[in-house]
Amino acid sequence: KEREKKLQIYVAARDACFTKRKDGVFDDEALQLTQQLLSSNPDFATLWNYRREILLHLETVRNQDEVQKIYEAELSFLESCLKVNPKSYGSWHHRGWVSARLPRPDWARELSLCDRCLSLDDRNFHCWDYRRMVVKMSGVPVKQELDFTDRLIGSNFSNYSSWHYRSTLLPLLHPQAPDTPSQCGNPPPSASPQTHFHRVCEEQLLKEYELVQNAFFTDPNDQSAWFYYRWLLGRAERDEMISCVYVSREEERVAVAFSRPVNAQSVGVEWQSVHPHFKNSPVWICSLPPGTISDVANEHNLTVHWTEKHSHRDCALYTGRSESWCRDTATDLELFRSELSVEKTSVLQSELQSVRQLQELEPLNKWCLLTIILLMRALDPLGYEKETLAHFQTLKDVDSMRSAYYSDLCSKFMIENTILKMEYAEVRVFSISDRKLTTLCHLDQLLLVTHINLSSNQLQQLPPQFAMLQCLEVRIGTLFFLLFFINLNSEISTLADLQPLASCPKLKRLDLRGNPITQTTNAEAELAGLLPSVTDLLL
Amino acid sequence: MGVSISNDHVIGTSAQLKDVIIKPDAPSSLLLDKHADYIAAYGSKKDDYTTTNSGKMDTINVDKAVEFVLSCMNFDGGFGCRPGSESHAGQIYCCTGFLSLTGQLHQLNADLLGWWLCERQLPSGGLNGRPEKLPDVCYSWWVLASLKIIGRIHWIDKAKLRRFILACQDEETGGFADRPGDMVDPFHTLFGVAGLSLLGDEQIKAVNPVLCMPEDVLQRIGLQPDLLS
Repeated sequence: KEREKKLQIYVAARDACFTKRKDGVFDDEALQLTQQLLSSNPDFATLWNYRREILLHLETVRNQDEVQKIYEAELSFLESCLKVNPKSYGSWHHRGWVSARLPRPDWARELSLCDRCLSLDDRNFHCWDYRRMVVKMSGVPVKQELDFTDRLIGSNFSNYSSWHYRSTLLPLLHPQAPDTPSQCGNPPPSASPQTHFHRVCEEQLLKEYELVQNAFFTDPNDQSAWFYYRWLLGRAERDEMISCVYVSREEERVAVAFSRPVNAQSVGVEWQSVHPHFKNSPVWICSLPPGTISDVANEHNLTVHWTEKHSHRDCALYTGRSESWCRDTATDLELFRSELSVEKTSVLQSELQSVRQLQELEPLNKWCLLTIILLMRALDPLGYEKETLAHFQTLKDVDSMRSAYYSDLCSKFMIENTILKMEYAEVRVFSISDRKLTTLCHLDQLLLVTHINLSSNQLQQLPPQFAMLQCLEVRIGTLFFLLFFINLNSEISTLADLQPLASCPKLKRLDLRGNPITQTTNAEAELAGLLPSVTDLLL
Repeated sequence: MGVSISNDHVIGTSAQLKDVIIKPDAPSSLLLDKHADYIAAYGSKKDDYTTTNSGKMDTINVDKAVEFVLSCMNFDGGFGCRPGSESHAGQIYCCTGFLSLTGQLHQLNADLLGWWLCERQLPSGGLNGRPEKLPDVCYSWWVLASLKIIGRIHWIDKAKLRRFILACQDEETGGFADRPGDMVDPFHTLFGVAGLSLLGDEQIKAVNPVLCMPEDVLQRIGLQPDLLS
């Protein structure tokens, strides 16, 4: 009965508001009604809109001092709303709107409101966003905000918001020096925090390691510190460039690998992405007009231009040679880890030691284990390979919910190691067997690979990106022990082509799309008969 | 969606580990008929639905929109409301869906974001929206769909999540609540069902992670948004 009465009052007030708004009425009563309703339901966005219309109207018929008073009263009303519900999008948005229109804003008071609100709940992202606006509008120094995060991190357990804020402040205060090789002019406005434009200068970075270490040593279960630490260890992004050009006389085509996915369609010569579905790919193929380079007596100089980045790469195809390639060997060492100065290496060595000690005290702490792995990757990926594998096994036991993640991450690291070994040995064979691989990645690095051995792993399917292995010499024989099959050159036309696969009892997924065999009648039934273990057949 | 700490399912003791306990007598099978009745009770006249917009992609400056979304990317690979805002599963879902529809998924750091997302899974099997928060069935959608879009759905423990979602059902009224024992509502019911579909429940139609619509409907109109593998 009580509730029904309340509801009636509410509905009456609401209907009155809508009527007034429709009639274009912006009077005191409207302010009263909306205030009444918004006090009990601050998520009623339409009413905040109407209230702003009323206030905008009042701005035109009152002098500045009166407007100042009106908006100060508004801020007071909002404070009472926020006390009841500090997480209303509507209230915070309106406060931001009011603060921006106040003739004489008191940003210090707004900042102190944020301080108070965050002291009650330092994960309130509405308040953090509002704080960022206040800081921007009033020019609060970055250093002051960094100190603020220091205080919060030092006193509270639930810190993720503070560490996050820190990740945005640090690059502003200590950007990487302009004379370092990875810097190249004005940063694009949309550069992500992972790109080197937002990298923090090394000196500050090292100090930051100390800060984070204090945090996770004080509380090893404070996950925010571990997330932040992983960011600090992250590798610098590769410079944007053409990483490899490969030319084949026989196939009369050029394959180009870029440092990141690009869209090279509709650019002069006919370029084709190797990825069947995506417009953006790191590897592109260009078929040259027949006869252009087929005569082995001729020498040719090719140049690939990446006009958007004003960069190019040359490749000379010599007489008597059937193929040629060009790649930047200087980047090989830094392919998978950030460039380390001597100073940083010794710091990371001591970090590794400390985290190892912590791990002995906290053997079930998965953050320790993962961080040890990441530190080893940063220091010496090949040297620590055995230990890395052992730690991954422990990690999968300790945090079994995420064992698939750890398997994939381990696969990625083993592939990186294999690529590094391949670089050092200067061979075109990619062999990684019996490493419990669950995923394939970095395939854009394998453009020049001619032989691949992926036997005795746990791969259940091949990613479409496998087509980036443009030099692969597919020999049916070597597929005998593999757990998957690929569709590279669309050559599979008869059932006989697939006979060896009948001996692969673990083969689960077979993607034959684009192959002539899919056009034969009764293909599906015949394939099912030949390969009964395949549960996922794509034709 | 307020959290009631007095709820005896909720663990509130440790500041670090907020999670729920699933009681042994919690629902463990999918109560499809109950849910059908629950939803049907809300009625569904044509007038109940209005189209909000008939927006066309070509009226938006897509390049600028992409630029804005990418400017919201954070150190952890996630996205917040605005540039500088903390990562949140709801925002991440919106942004990954957007990047799928605009063919820009390659701009994500899928490994890093996938890790952050799979770390949403708590010991109860449920997913939270960001670190140190309680699990909520709606995140079975926001987080799971995001993982599916970026090709890393296998990084969470599907069986445990399924168990959590099922425990959020109300055996008497039908429908799903945000967490076991709470009151049901249509919002959480949608996301509970959609989450189960993404997990592969055969009793439910396949749902598209980008548009949260049945796959067969999208196939009919020839719409297949990009997904990473």
